Amino acid sequence: MRVKYLKPIVVVSVLLGLSQWSALSAAQTADQLYKRGLAATCANCHGTDGKGVVDGGMPLINNLTSEQMLGKLKAYKSGALEGTIMPQIAKGYTDEQLITIANQLGKKQ
Amino acid sequence: MDRRHFIGHSAAAVGLLAGLSGQTRAASLQKAEILVIGGGYGGATAAKYLRLFSNNTARVTLIEPNTSFISCPMSNLVIGGSRTIAEITSPYDTLSKRHGIKIIKDSVGSIDADKKTVTLASGKTLRYDKAIVSPGVSMNMSTVEGLAQANKDGVTLQAWKAGPETVALHKQIAAMREGGVFAISIPEAPYRCPPGPYERACQVANYLKQHNPKGKVLVLDANQDVVSKGALFKKVWAEQYAGMIEYRPKSNVIGVDAKNKTLKLEVEDDIKADVLNVLPQMAAGEIAIKAGLANANGRWANVNFLNFESTARKDIHVLGDAIQVAPLMPKSGHMANQHAKVAAAAIVAELSGWEINPAPVLTNTCYSFVNNREVVHVASVHQYNAAEKTFKTVPGSGGLSPAPSILEGIYAWGWAHNIWADSLG
Repeated sequence: MRVKYLKPIVVVSVLLGLSQWSALSAAQTADQLYKRGLAATCANCHGTDGKGVVDGGMPLINNLTSEQMLGKLKAYKSGALEGTIMPQIAKGYTDEQLITIANQLGKKQ
Repeated sequence: MDRRHFIGHSAAAVGLLAGLSGQTRAASLQKAEILVIGGGYGGATAAKYLRLFSNNTARVTLIEPNTSFISCPMSNLVIGGSRTIAEITSPYDTLSKRHGIKIIKDSVGSIDADKKTVTLASGKTLRYDKAIVSPGVSMNMSTVEGLAQANKDGVTLQAWKAGPETVALHKQIAAMREGGVFAISIPEAPYRCPPGPYERACQVANYLKQHNPKGKVLVLDANQDVVSKGALFKKVWAEQYAGMIEYRPKSNVIGVDAKNKTLKLEVEDDIKADVLNVLPQMAAGEIAIKAGLANANGRWANVNFLNFESTARKDIHVLGDAIQVAPLMPKSGHMANQHAKVAAAAIVAELSGWEINPAPVLTNTCYSFVNNREVVHVASVHQYNAAEKTFKTVPGSGGLSPAPSILEGIYAWGWAHNIWADSLG
C-alpha cells in the first residue's frame, strides 16, 4: 500500500524533471519568440514565415533578401514606393520593427 | 485502501507537489493542456501558432463542431452567385496532419473556470491549464420581434456565418420574382464585419443587374451612416447600381411579420420585401456568455490586450469577434488571426517562464468586392499603448483605396488564399 501511495509522486517528479530538461533543450529564446511574433503579423497576406501561396494572387516576398526587403519596407514607409496597401501598413511600424521583420523573413543566403 | 481512497490520496499528493513546485508547473510548456474552443480565424490560428511558436512542443487540442472551415470573408460572392461555397471551404485536417494538433469534432456545452474543465456537448469532460475561447458572435434574435420564428419558418435568413445559409440566401435571391426587392437590415455597430452588409448589397445588386434588372436592393441601416468605407460604397452605388440600391440610414428594424414578409421599423412605416436578410444585434458567441466571460455590457469579453486573457476568468483567453474591441479595432477575420498570434506567443512565453512581449502589434486588412472583380480596401496598424493598456492605431498609417480596382480584386483573392493557409494550412 505504501508503495502504491508513493508511485504517483515518483511519476510526477520524473515528468517534472523531463519537462525541465526539454524546456532547456528547446532551441528558442524569448527574443526569438518576439521576432517570430512580430513577423507573423505579415503572414495573413504573405504566408506563414513569409512563404506565400504560389500563384495565389498576392506578390511573393520570400524571393527577397533581408536587405532588399528592408529597402522596400522603408521606401513604402517614406512614400518613395507606391502601392495599394503596403504604404499604409509600413507607416504603422517603427523602423526597428521593420528591421526585425526584414531580418526574420528575408531570404537566407 | 480501496480504489477511491487511493485516487484521493494520489490526487492530494499530486496537488501537494504541484503546490510545492508551483513555479515549475507554471513554467512547463510541454505539460500544459491547452484547449482551443472554436476553429474560426481566431481559434484555428491560435492552435497552429501555439505549435509553431513552441517548436511543436505544446499540447494543443482544438474543439470544433464543423468538419471543414467555411470562410465568412468572400462568402458574399457566393450569395451574389459569382463564386461557389467549395471555393471558400478549407479542410481542418491539415492542422492535425501537419501540425500535430488534436482535433475533437464536438462543441462545448460548458466551461468550469474554477475547476478548469470544459464539458463537451457529448458529455465528456476535459481538463485544461489554458483555454482559448474563440466563439465568434451570437445573434440576439430577441432584439427583432418575430425574428426567431421567421428564421424557423425559413422566411428570414442571416447568412452571417458562412455555410448552408449562404447557399440558401443565394437561392432565395435567384428565385425572387421579377422586379422583387431584397432587403438587408443592419444592426447598430459593433457587429461582425463592419463593411460586410454594404459589400453584400453590392453583390446582390451585381447579380440582379444580370438576372433580374428590375429588382431592387434596399439597405436599412440602424446606424447614422455607412459604418465602413462609406464614401467608396456610396460612389459605387451611384455609379454602378443607380436606381437599384437604395440606402436608408437611421432605419432600425425592430420586428418581422413573417406571414406578410414585412419589416417593422422603429420610426418609419413598415416595409414589404421579397427576400428578407435581417441581421439582429450581435454579442459574443454563446459559450463566452455562458462561461461568464462577457463582462462588457453582458455582450462582449474584456481582455488584457497583452495576452488576450479574459479579465473575468484567469487562464481563459478570448479572441476575435467576441472581445470588447480596442478603439478603431474591427471585428474581422483578419483581426482574429492577429489576436491569435499575440495570444499564442504570450502563452508560450508565460509557460516558458519568460516575460510576455510588452509591445505587440496588430494589423488589419479588409477587402470588399463592389462587383465580381473590383475591390476596395481598408487597412490599419494597431500598436499596444502601455500607458492606456490598449491598442491604438498609428497616426498617419492605414487608410482606404482611392477607388475600386481589378488589381485589388486579385490581391483580395491572394489575401484569402494566404490567410486560409496561414490559419489552417
